[in-house]
Amino acid sequence: MIDNPYKPIKTEVLDICEESSSIKTVILKPEEPLHFKAGQFVEMTVPGLGEAPFTPSSSPYEKQKLEISIMKAGRVTARIHDLKKGDIVGLRGPYGNEYPLSDYEGKDVLLVGGGVGLAPLRALFLALVHDVKKYKSITFCCGAKTPSDLIYKESVLDKWHQLDKSIELRVTVDKKDKDWKGKEGLVTTTLDNLKVDLKNSVAIVCGPPIMMKFSTFKLIELGYKEDQVYLSMEKNMSCGFGKCGHCRLGNFYVCKDGPVFRYDKISSIHEIWD
Amino acid sequence: MDSYFINKPNLDRLARSLSKAYRVYVPVKSENHRFYKKMGDEGLDDAVIGEIRTVQTIKSFYFPARAKVSEYFSENIPEKKSRPIAVIGAKSCDLASLKVMDYVYAQDSFKDPLYVSRRKEGLIISSDCTMYGESCFCVALGIMPYPTEDFDINLSEVGGGYVAEVGSEKGEALVKEYSKLFQNAELYIEKKEEARKKLKGDLLEHVKDKKIPPKESIQGMFKKKFNSDLWDETAKTCVECGACNMICPACHCFVLKDQSSDKGFERLRLWDSCLLMSFAGVAGGANPRKLLAQRLRNRFDKKFNFFPDIIGKFGCTGCGRCIEACPGKIDIREVLGKL
Repeated sequence: MIDNPYKPIKTEVLDICEESSSIKTVILKPEEPLHFKAGQFVEMTVPGLGEAPFTPSSSPYEKQKLEISIMKAGRVTARIHDLKKGDIVGLRGPYGNEYPLSDYEGKDVLLVGGGVGLAPLRALFLALVHDVKKYKSITFCCGAKTPSDLIYKESVLDKWHQLDKSIELRVTVDKKDKDWKGKEGLVTTTLDNLKVDLKNSVAIVCGPPIMMKFSTFKLIELGYKEDQVYLSMEKNMSCGFGKCGHCRLGNFYVCKDGPVFRYDKISSIHEIWD
Repeated sequence: MDSYFINKPNLDRLARSLSKAYRVYVPVKSENHRFYKKMGDEGLDDAVIGEIRTVQTIKSFYFPARAKVSEYFSENIPEKKSRPIAVIGAKSCDLASLKVMDYVYAQDSFKDPLYVSRRKEGLIISSDCTMYGESCFCVALGIMPYPTEDFDINLSEVGGGYVAEVGSEKGEALVKEYSKLFQNAELYIEKKEEARKKLKGDLLEHVKDKKIPPKESIQGMFKKKFNSDLWDETAKTCVECGACNMICPACHCFVLKDQSSDKGFERLRLWDSCLLMSFAGVAGGANPRKLLAQRLRNRFDKKFNFFPDIIGKFGCTGCGRCIEACPGKIDIREVLGKL
């Protein structure tokens, strides 16, 4: 008997909190364990309405529950924003590959994220921090449109700085407001003057397509090789296991061959930034 | 494998007997088209074993257009226990499509339970084409108008009956079980080969003026034409109806739709079309194929570039169904001819 791959796991909403005007984080407790690795994604079901793919943003070492940060962008996500503590949803997964942490060991690790793209990078960051001594340094460049769009504010502006001396956070907003004391500019501007040894570096990029495109180009311009840059691709993942056809990218399905791709593997494919 | 001869009355007896264990589907003719019909008491009386493919594809039997794939959070879907499916008269182009469907649904890391069980339990008694249709072009893609593999038994019409070639253990067991219905085929083998040779030659002649490139060069030529204006030109008459996808034996894409039900909710798997704008778009608004020409090109990309790399086969079997279905008169042979 083959397991039914379409069946979601019954999952309780433990809590839901607002990160920004358009992004909320839901804290979920699936009935059966669902152990993901940083970078993998899940399909979340709103009963009777449908599913959408999300990459968890909590630490993969947290086994009892998981957190997903979700931007209100469509039908399913709008309903997720209306969820209340105690509501029942569904989860399938995890699907796809994870960030290859062993390839990052001993290196200067750079994370570049924008908007809700910080969500998967938070899971990665927490996984890196879990074994912080294994990495030479961790630099996390975070961008948001405005200060009110910046998620995990407390962590990125304060808490995460203090975790280890090998950790550096660079935060910027495209457009500041009167209370913003930090940097103003696109996330690519935080990539200048990196304190890394390029020969022994990796960079991981996640965010909206346009931000990923220009961040990747900037990294290449700075001297990163294509095989040192990892991208978390987002396409229309639906089934999660390479059958429904929606997320095809060249000869890959983002859902099963990704969502994490080393840039050199996909740089020649048309349509990657659209 | 071994070949036998079975006459028409005996094939009818076999089909009637099979209907005890299987739901038997046979091609019947309506006007100038053939359709699969569930065989009833009439047996094979109005069945068309030879001629050409049916309008609907064989994939519908294993990968239905609409299937409930999950119900609330329960592990199993209470499927009505029904007999497995026996298809009689499936043609070579449809069998070729099973290479694609089997790869996607039965061989890759995740397997589809419904597809796997229906394929495993099903029986396929295929048959040679005895003519070609206007839109047929299988030979241009290296597929013969007669089955060479992936059947349990294949029937080649000859001398008032059929040469029955065994193609699997299941087929062998069947011949053994009904051995009284089968005779020695020796006298008919030569005639069968002659008929095959003639039809293949006729069909090659028929597709000649479409100027389809040799099958070995199709993928390379497609790659070269990726950024050409061929796709804009071809898309001019496309109305995004998705008929080419629905009617294609090798199109496997689907969309999952949830709806409320007595049990809470249920999940349906429905055939989907890559020609539709929504196919590759995401909620945030990004869409790698916003333009119709990109989506049309994607259909060719998948069939003549992706699948050759992944399984060494085209995702097209030359059945020509999409040519007949297209209200915009887009002819896949002509597009290939312009590569």
